Amino acid sequence: MSGQYHRSHRWAWFFERPGYMRFMLREVTSFFVAGYLVLLLVTLGRLGGGEAAFVEWLASVSGPWWMTAHLVALAAAIWHAVTWFGAVPQAMPIYVGENRLPAPIAAIVMGYGPWLTVTAVIVWWVLR
Amino acid sequence: MADKDTMTLEVFRYHPETDSEPRFQSYEVPYNEDWVVLDAINWVKDHVDGSLTHRWSCRMGVCGSCGMMVNGEPKLTCAAFLKDYYPFPIKVEPLVNFAVERDLVVAMDGFMEKLQDVKPYIIRDDVNDTSDGEYRQSPAELAQYKQYSMCINCMLCYAACPVAGHEDDFLGPAALALGHRYNKDSRDQGQAERLDVMLAGEAIWGCTFVGECTVVCPKHVDPAGAIQQAKAMAAQEYFKGFVMPKGTGVAKGAAK
Amino acid sequence: MKRSSEALWWALFSAGGVMAALFVPAFVIVTGFLLPAGDAAVAAERTARFAAAVGWWPVKLALLGIIALSLIHAGHRIRHTLMDLGMRKQSGLLKVPCYGGALAGTVWAAMVLWGI
Repeated sequence: MSGQYHRSHRWAWFFERPGYMRFMLREVTSFFVAGYLVLLLVTLGRLGGGEAAFVEWLASVSGPWWMTAHLVALAAAIWHAVTWFGAVPQAMPIYVGENRLPAPIAAIVMGYGPWLTVTAVIVWWVLR
Repeated sequence: MADKDTMTLEVFRYHPETDSEPRFQSYEVPYNEDWVVLDAINWVKDHVDGSLTHRWSCRMGVCGSCGMMVNGEPKLTCAAFLKDYYPFPIKVEPLVNFAVERDLVVAMDGFMEKLQDVKPYIIRDDVNDTSDGEYRQSPAELAQYKQYSMCINCMLCYAACPVAGHEDDFLGPAALALGHRYNKDSRDQGQAERLDVMLAGEAIWGCTFVGECTVVCPKHVDPAGAIQQAKAMAAQEYFKGFVMPKGTGVAKGAAK
Repeated sequence: MKRSSEALWWALFSAGGVMAALFVPAFVIVTGFLLPAGDAAVAAERTARFAAAVGWWPVKLALLGIIALSLIHAGHRIRHTLMDLGMRKQSGLLKVPCYGGALAGTVWAAMVLWGI
C-alpha cells in the first residue's frame, strides 16, 4: 500500500533504551576479549623464547600502560562472564517435574559456581 | 484544584489521503485517576475528534490490539494508567518497527505472515481416531511450553526489538516464541518442519539476545529465552542433517 | 529451505562464550597481575611453575581449545555487533575478518604452544 508511512531507520538505536545500552556494553566485551587473547598469545610466545625473554616481557608488562590495559581486559572479561552466566537460566531451563529451577539457583549451579571455582583454583595454583 | 483536572495527550497523526508526513496533535483530556491511556484516546475520539484512528477491543490486557508507544515505551494502552504520567504530557505513537497505516494503526501483514511461517499449530504424522480418546499430556509436559503459549500477539516485543526493526527476514520474538511453544509440546511432531524454517538465513540467527522483548512483554512470555532455546534446538537439527539424510528419522516431518 | 551455516557459527560462539566466561578472567589475573607482580625471587618461582604447567601437553591442548573457541566467540559477537550497528548488507563480507581472524589466531596459538 503506497499510503503507508515508514518511519526512518534509527542508526543510533542503542541509545534509546537503558536495556539497549546494557546490551551494547555486553557485546563490546568481545573486542576486549579478542584483544586480550592476542596479548595472551604474545605472552605465551615469549615463554617459548626462553626464560630470559619471558622475564623481560613480564617486566615491561608491569608498566602503568599495560597494567591499565589488563585492568580494562579484566573488567570486560568479568562483565562477559557475569552477563553470560546470568543468561544461562533463560537459555537452558531446568525442570524438576512441573517446576522450573529458579533463575538465581540455576545461575549459581550452572554458571557462577563453576566460574568462581575455576578462577579460585587457577589463582591458588599460581600463588601457592 | 481546577488545573489538576486535565492532562495533555500528544498524539501521532497521519492520514495517508492528506498527509505526506506525520504530525503531532495535542488534546486536553480529563484527568481521572483510574483512567488508562486508552480511556483518554477513546475520550478524544468520542468527544473531540472522530477522525482519530486506533485499534482496541477488550480493555483488559487479553486481546492484544491496543499496543502503542507511550512516551517512547511499547505498552498496552489499556494497562498504562494516566496517574503514572500525571501531570506531565503523554506522547502516544504507533508501535515502532512497523509501517503506519493511519494515526495509531500499524500494518500487521508482515507480522501475520511470520506467525504463519512457524506453523503455530500441532502437526502430527499419525492422527488418532477420535474414538481412541484425546492425546494425553502430563502437567510436567504442559509446564515445558505453557509460558510460551500465553502470547496475545500484541507486537510490543517487535517494537522493542532493534533486530526486528532492521532485518526484514528475522521472524521476530513473538513468532519464534510461538514456534518454540509448539516444538516443546509433547503432542506435536512438527519440530523438524519448524526448525527448518528457523534455520533459513536470518530467520532466527538475526537475534543477538538483546532481551528487551522479554522486558516489555505484558504476558511474561520471555520470548528472548524461548529464542535462545530454539537456537540450541535448531543447531542440533542442523548437525543432525549431516548425520542423517533428509526424509529419515526426525527429518521425516519435513518431507511431507 | 536453504539452511544457513549460521547454526555452526552460533554453536561455536556458544561453546566459546562458556570457555571465555570460565577461563579468561582467571587468565587475565595470572598473566596481567600475578606473574608481573612481586620481587624477583617470587616472580622467578611463579614463572617457573607457570612454564612447567603450560609446557605439559594436556594443558597445551586445553589452552588451544579454550583460545580457539574464545576467539570464534569474540569474532562472531564482533560480527553481529557490527551488523546490529548497520552493517547488515556486509554480513557475508564480515565473516572474512571475523572468522578468518579467529582461524588465524588459532593457527598462531598452535604454533606458539608447540614452541613452548
